[in-house]
Amino acid sequence: MAFTVFFVSAWLIVSIFTIIPKRLTLIENTFIFLTTSVISINWTWIINEELKYVKITEDPANYAGFLFFRSVIIPTLLMVQLNLYSASSSTIKKGLVIAASVICLLLLTISSRVLDISTYKDWNLGFDTVYYVFLHFFSIGVWKIIRKFTHIEVKHS
Amino acid sequence: MNFLWQNFDKNEISILILMTIAYALFFVLPFKFKREITWLLMLLGFTIGVFFDFTIGGGLIDFFTLNDTNHYELFDFCYYLIFAPFSYFFIYFYDMFNIHKKTFIFYILLWVIVGVSMQWVFTKLGIVEFQNGYKIPFSFAVFLTTQTFTALYFELIRSRFQVLK
Repeated sequence: MAFTVFFVSAWLIVSIFTIIPKRLTLIENTFIFLTTSVISINWTWIINEELKYVKITEDPANYAGFLFFRSVIIPTLLMVQLNLYSASSSTIKKGLVIAASVICLLLLTISSRVLDISTYKDWNLGFDTVYYVFLHFFSIGVWKIIRKFTHIEVKHS
Repeated sequence: MNFLWQNFDKNEISILILMTIAYALFFVLPFKFKREITWLLMLLGFTIGVFFDFTIGGGLIDFFTLNDTNHYELFDFCYYLIFAPFSYFFIYFYDMFNIHKKTFIFYILLWVIVGVSMQWVFTKLGIVEFQNGYKIPFSFAVFLTTQTFTALYFELIRSRFQVLK
């Protein structure tokens, strides 16, 4: 069940990314995907495997669900969030985009606990919330740095 | 728990030497790509290294141990940093030799052999230690996937953006 839920979620978020109008260039989107992937992978490893604050399932199918969440859903959702964020005209809309994206991640995190992918040891949902909010501002920061320091020229054919 | 290293010996010294060689070559070669493309290629190589190592080299699958232990150490991070210039050189020479449809497969295969050979060297240096039934021929699948993806991604980028300085 967990595998199916997270596979479908991954498919859904990738599909949403595919169909939304892109405000970021391919290069910028790639930067966001790669940097947030690195953070997501390292963070989960340190929290789960090194500090053992969260126990991850040893069931192979459920573990595959965890991998989809960590390596596909989180970075893709952050790309979606950033494309919508940059298209938002007001601060309130930008805030709502970030809030909606954080809520999506929290709902998936709760699902991963309900479906026995992860079990909290010395951890709680508040820490996850702080981490997800940080991740969103990190992605915005990365995007602004890329915009500031690069001069991307698009080919016109 | 030591986040720096378990024992500072052959594998750590080898990583330092390999990093020095790779990054020295990176700075010696004339920069041909725009700054953001260079960053992108470096980040791509680094992320692919992290992605594969944390997916098949750790967790439930755990096909290999890096630098003496399964714990995350400073030199694990340094090991992933070697993948960054590796990815850059792959595309640097791809562009330099003007690889096209007829030479694409040969170029990928050549780099796959380089990649797998390097991994074999890493096992001899004690940087990587295979376990749980993993054998080095399996790495052909990994490198074929990553090198093909990197080349196709570069083709996509080159078709849309000015990549050269």
